[in-house]
Parts: sequence; structure tokens; C-alpha cells
Amino acid sequence: MPGPTVRFTDQRLANGLRLIIAEDHLAPVVAVNIWYGVGSKHEVPGKTGFAHLFEHVMFQGSAHVAKAEHIGLIQSVGGTMNGTTWLDRTNYFETVPSHQLELALWLEADRMGTLPDALSQENLDNQRDVVKNEKRWSYDNRPYGSWNERTLAGVFPPEHPYHHTAIGSMEDLDAASLEDVRSFFKMHYAPNNAVLSIVGDVDPIAVQGWVERYFGGIPANPALPIDLGDLSLPLSLGGERRETVADRIPLPRIYFAFRAPAYGDRRLDALDLAGQILAGGKGSRLHRRLVRDERIAQDVALFSLGLIGGASVTAGWVTARPGVDLARLEAGYWEELQRIAGEAPSEDELARAKALTEADELEALQGVAERADRLSMYATLFDDPDLINRMLPRYLAVTRDEIRDACAAVFRDDNRLVLTYLPAEQAAGDAEAAA
Amino acid sequence: MTAARPVVVADRPEPGEPRPYAFPAFKRTRLANGLEVIEVNLPGRPLIDASLILPGGAADEPDDLAGATVLMARALTEGTERYSAVELVEATERLGASIHAEAGWDATTISADVPSERLAPALDLVAEIASRPTFPVDEVARLRDERLNDLLQARADPRRRAEEAFVEAVYATSSPYRRSSAGTRETVERLTADIVRAELARRFDPARMTLIVGGDLAGIDIVELAAERFAGWQAAPGTGPGRVVDASPASLERRLRVINRPGDVQTEIRIGHPGARRLIPDFHALSVMSAILGGLFNSRLNRKLREEKGYTYGAGAGFDLRRSAGPFAARAAVATDVTVPAVQEILVELERMRTGLVDEDELQDARDYLVGVFPLRFETPGAVVGALGGIVVQGLPDDELARYRPSIEAVTREDVLAAARAHVRPDEAAIVLVGNADAFLPALEAAGLGPITMERDEPGDVAAPAVAGEAG
Repeated sequence: MPGPTVRFTDQRLANGLRLIIAEDHLAPVVAVNIWYGVGSKHEVPGKTGFAHLFEHVMFQGSAHVAKAEHIGLIQSVGGTMNGTTWLDRTNYFETVPSHQLELALWLEADRMGTLPDALSQENLDNQRDVVKNEKRWSYDNRPYGSWNERTLAGVFPPEHPYHHTAIGSMEDLDAASLEDVRSFFKMHYAPNNAVLSIVGDVDPIAVQGWVERYFGGIPANPALPIDLGDLSLPLSLGGERRETVADRIPLPRIYFAFRAPAYGDRRLDALDLAGQILAGGKGSRLHRRLVRDERIAQDVALFSLGLIGGASVTAGWVTARPGVDLARLEAGYWEELQRIAGEAPSEDELARAKALTEADELEALQGVAERADRLSMYATLFDDPDLINRMLPRYLAVTRDEIRDACAAVFRDDNRLVLTYLPAEQAAGDAEAAA
Repeated sequence: MTAARPVVVADRPEPGEPRPYAFPAFKRTRLANGLEVIEVNLPGRPLIDASLILPGGAADEPDDLAGATVLMARALTEGTERYSAVELVEATERLGASIHAEAGWDATTISADVPSERLAPALDLVAEIASRPTFPVDEVARLRDERLNDLLQARADPRRRAEEAFVEAVYATSSPYRRSSAGTRETVERLTADIVRAELARRFDPARMTLIVGGDLAGIDIVELAAERFAGWQAAPGTGPGRVVDASPASLERRLRVINRPGDVQTEIRIGHPGARRLIPDFHALSVMSAILGGLFNSRLNRKLREEKGYTYGAGAGFDLRRSAGPFAARAAVATDVTVPAVQEILVELERMRTGLVDEDELQDARDYLVGVFPLRFETPGAVVGALGGIVVQGLPDDELARYRPSIEAVTREDVLAAARAHVRPDEAAIVLVGNADAFLPALEAAGLGPITMERDEPGDVAAPAVAGEAG
């Protein structure tokens, strides 16, 4: 079955804004998606979490838009919207009925051009409180909530910009000032650091005219792009790292993390398929062995977080059933990783993993919002929006041996971080026994 | 050639001409054995959603076997007369399909997502799962144990703990809605393969089921495909979801239930009471009212608690409309030190909905949102099939979705007030707080919001009986 083909145009305004348009008239809707080439990796020490706090400020108004009015206007025309911040980038998006496209463009342009005009200490303080509650809700007040932070801190050295999470620290959030907001905006939020993708029920000629009208007057920042220097890292942690974490949880869980090749490296494609073979659903090796057959695990996972700055993370976990010997659980998980690193998967396993990948791709690209997000992503990270059409063929071309070799390169003793989460009372008991 | 150009354009653009939209047309056909087939052609959507729906779910099971329906649905894919569980998964994966079975309060569903050219073999598997499941003793026991472990996990997660404590506080002991649809520790421990098999035999009857297929069906004769696979399926007549589900409240007095978890850094707040059934005459007014109160980003609750006060990452409220009155709840997770003012602000907003007309702007924004977002909701076959499933399960008329937008447009400020007075009753609400109560209890007592029941979750509470499953 041929994969879906997304036809698009790709151009730049004089100020550097990259504009990608894909027509799709199946439904009277349109997705607007902007990726800015700024993420938490651009934060400096003492300012962690700032890129994300800034993303919140982007909804607090600009020269011609009041606080919270952006969201109010989009919802009042029957649209949906949000923004997200990640290590490599920040994105903002709306899906609206197609006759309301111009409104969405106008709103995005107003904040790209004039955000500081509406800035106030009151709004910054308000969103600082909101973000601190987001951190509590998403991480601090959740079982196993610290694994994300511990994983990045363990896989990347302290001087590397992926060492800290996008949510940052409470202390640094407290320290964020209006001046920080202004300088961050001035440096990063410029048209030549943005990709605008528009997918849906549109007339491309009209879209080009509107984008020129609303965005064309926003000046470029000639200081961009920012050079973060050489972020490359060896494909090894230089030795195993282990940590035991006491948490308020009933079931122990063992997290594994590995330094992996950077996003875009073919070996990461192979690792994605390995993740499918090892932990992608009920037919996968880890699930079959640990959950179904040996029945020592409640659940398993394994996946890669693709990052462009030198190295990615491949991570996974296994949750123990009550009373299970954790050494046995860890050994079982590890044996499966070693097995695929030593012996290529069978033809049938690979064929099933590819069929599932193909189905996932087909499903993901059904909606205009995801297509717009992928176009922006591939343009921002790889300067190559056509990857939207070539990623699936790339996955389908991965061989059995490539999977084995990528696993052998990554799933090594000297490249693993092992975080063992224990119920607090059990951790205390273990410490006592050890004393 | 240019004078200094302004950075941006000051004037807000006017909308263009809306393109007409209608919910996709669908066609019903009844097979000889009574199975109904609904087909909905969605040109350009090659990923087909085929869902076999049985009205009747967790609300229809005996109280002492709560969780049997959900477990039965999960166990459907654990083996059939022709395939073991693993063979079934592998066969599904080779088709690039996903097939899953699940049960909710009002329905049990087996659904397949599959590219159109492989629809026929995927339907073979759906038919096999529906008509010839074997429920291996050992696999059912494993799924039961996984559910028991999940209950342990739920107790440790403040959000899940709050939902569990909330429905227990809202509903009388006679109501099934007082528990999770997947059952409680006490009832799940009793469940066996025999019970699950009996539950299926009692219910699965093609004459009461509907197969809904949506996607690009060009060149596909759905009725023929369905007839080949399902028309020969005979079963003893099942019992319909006839019984009225008890949704009695635990109390008509406002009261507080506090779960003290000393290490928590936020308080999970739930405030509410039994809400409304899906089949109510003021459904559209209720939808608009609910959007204004706690559905939109600029809803009264989110505007106040997030954008004005910074108490929370998000506050909202909504109705879970079931065959009987599912819960109405206002929800927020707030920093511990603002727990009491946050509860007070929520109560003020609930009361304010009942005491005055909403602003014309609020009404307009909510109606425009619900009307405008309607086509966005139905971009994919899965969403269209899901909406048709709702019509089947809740017994709604076929033109329900076609009438949705004009009905929302017709809602007035007076209708919104009437809906709030009928369905939002803060004086009868259960207020459930899960968090570090040591830090807010004195202030809570001083606030005089109602009688307070205190409980404390000890870390050891969640520790399970140390039993690992045995390999079978």
C-alpha cells in the first residue's frame, strides 16, 4: 500500500518567514501551525523553564489583542488551539473553520510582531503561578513524576543543554523577570526563526497574500540563527549509572535510559522499529515475556525521544507486579534488549512492526493539524518538509541487520541509566537492612 | 518605494464566507439475524473504522460482580476458537490493523481500524472475536490481577484517588455509579472466566447489536461483507439494558470529604452531585451552560481560578451524560496553600450560574464555539462512527446530529439560566479534597462550608498483598 502523499508549496517571505501550504478540501477546516526554532536548550543557567513560561506569556496579549483574547477569539469561531515547548523548539497552533483562517493568521502575526507592547508584571506573575501549578500537576504530584528530569540529567552531562527539562525548576521560574521576557522575545521570536504551515481547505494564492499582509512587516533578527556550539556526544555514558528513588507508589518500577543517535540518523529509525518489536503492544517481546508469560510485570514500555542536538534518548520501563523480585525483573527486561542486539529480529516480526508503523503513520496524517505540525517540524529540524512523505519509506527500508546493529550500539552496559523506583516504606526498609 | 510599514496590521479581519457543512449521511440495513448495519461513506478517508456495538455495559451488571463487563470486554481478544491471543494479535498486526474491545457504562464495543483494502479480513477477525471467544481461565485470571494492580496504582495517583473518592461521596450505596465501571477490589477479586463467559452469554445477541462502518467505502458492499460474516451468527436472546440505573445521591446536604495525603504539593478538588441523563429535553441548553461555566478556556471557572488568581493550571466543570444521571463535577488541582479560597471561588461561580442571566457575549461565544467546532470534531472516521454509536446506545433519533447546530443556535440566556437552576446545585454538592490536609484543615473548618469527614491515606495502605501471578 502506498503511503499518503502530502503535496505542499514551500517559500520564504523577504523577512525570512518560511511558509508551507498544503491544500485539502475534504472538510471545511484549516490548521495553522508555527514552529519557532527555540526551545529549552536555548536557556542559560539560572533560567531553566523560561522558554515554556514565555510560551504562556504568548497568550497574555499583544498590541491589538487583550489578555486571554487570543484563545477566546479562536474558541468563539469554533476553533481549537494550544502551544507546546520542547527541548528543540516551541510551537503554536490553531485549527479553525476554513473561512476563519485570516483571523488565526492575524492573531499569530500580532504576537510575533508586538508581544512586548502588552507585557505587564501582573500577567507575568499570574502565568508564573499557572506554570508552577502545571509543574506540580504534571510532575511533582504524580507517582514516578521525577523520572523525566532524572533521565535527562543522567543521559546528558551538566554542561549540555538537554541536561535540564523544559519545565525547569521552581527557583528559576521565581527568578524570571520582565526584562528576561523582552530579551528572549527580541532574540528568538523573529520571522526568520519561524516556520508557518497551513494545511486544509484553502486557496493558496489567497493565503500567500494574507501571510504577506499580516507577517510581511515584521522585521527579521539578523543575529539569528544562534550557534549553540558543538553539542555532539559519544554514544556512551562512559559507564553504567544507577539510582534508587523512594516514592509514594505501590508498585516498584525500573526505568532504563540510553544515549542514542541524534534525530535524523538512520539508526534512530531502526531503534523506533526495535521499540515496536520489543514493547509495541500485546504481540511485542517484552510484553509477551514479562506481562503475559512470566507474569512478573504490570506493564512495559520502550521508545525513543528524537533530539537533534548531538544525541537522543531511548528510554523504557517495566512496572513490577506486587512481591516480584526486582533483580529478576530487571534481568528479564535486559535479556530481551541483549537478545535483539545479538540476533536480528525475524522477517515476520519486522514485517508486523512495519505494518503497524505504516498504520500509525496513516492514522496520524488523517487530520490537518498533525500534517501541519509535521511539515513545520521537518522544516524546522531538518530544513526538509518533504520528510513528511519520506519518513514512512525510510522506516519500510530498514533491514533486520540494521535493527540488530542499532540495538547493539545503544543497549550496552556502559550506556545505561537504571532508575529503580521503590515504595517509600520498602526503600526505607532496604536502607535499614543495608546499614 | 515604501514608507515605513507598520510591523503588524491593527485591524482584525472579518471572516470569509462559511462553507456549508452537514454531518455525513448514513444508511441503516438489518440482516436476517437482526444485526443492524450502519454505513457512512466518507470519501478520501482510507482508514476505515468498523465498530460492533452492544448496548448495555457496566451499569447493567450485578452489584456483587462489578467489573465483570469491563473484564469480559478485555478478555474478548484473549483467544477464540480459531486463534490464541498471540495469534490474534499477530494476525491483526499483519493487516496493519488495530482491533480492541472495551466496555463503558452503557455499551460494549469491538472496533477495528484498518486500511480499506484490508477491511474484509479485519471484519473476519471482529466476527471471530464477537462470536467465538474462549475466555481461557488463565488469561482471564491474569487480566483480573492486572486490574487489581491497577486499582493499587489508582489509589496512589492523586487524580485517580480524587475521582474514586468523589463518586463514592456523590452517589448512594444503591447506585452503580458510586464505583469505577471496572469494579472495586472486593468485586474484581471474585471474577472468573466462568462469570465472564456467563456475562457474555447473557448479553451478546446479534439482534441487539449494531455494526457501524465509516470511511471511504467506494467499491465496497458493506452489507454483503457483513452478511457473509455475521448473518449466520445466532445466539440465545440476550437481555436488554432494560433496567433503570439507580443514580440516587448519597445526600442532599452539602458536605466535605477530605483525604489527607501529607506529602502532596497540590489539592485535587472535586465539587458536584448526580448530574443529568443524556436523554433530557434541555440537552442543548445544558451544553451551552456547561461551556460557559467550565468548558471554554474563558469559562467562568478557568478565567477566575487560572487567569485571575493563578491558583491552578486549569479549572473546569462538566457533565458525564449517561443513560442515567452521571456525575456533574467542577474540577481543579490547586496549590495547597490556596485550597480553601479555591473551593470558595468555585462555589461562588456555581451559585452565580443559578442566580442571574449570563452576559450576551458569554452566550454568543459559547454557542459559536459549539456550532463552529462541530465540523472539526468529525474530521476522522473514528469520530463519525463514535457519534453514531452514541445515537444507537442512547436511543437518540437519527436526525440528532443534523439538528445539533440549529438547536444550539436557538438557546437563549433564559434557557441557560433554567438549565443551571435544574442541573447545578451547589447546596447539595459533595466537596472532595485530596491533598495535604494538615496544611489547610484549620482554614477549611473556619470557612464553615459544611460537615467535614476526614480520612488519611497512609503510605502502607497502598501496599498490596504480596502475591505475584503464577505463570500458567
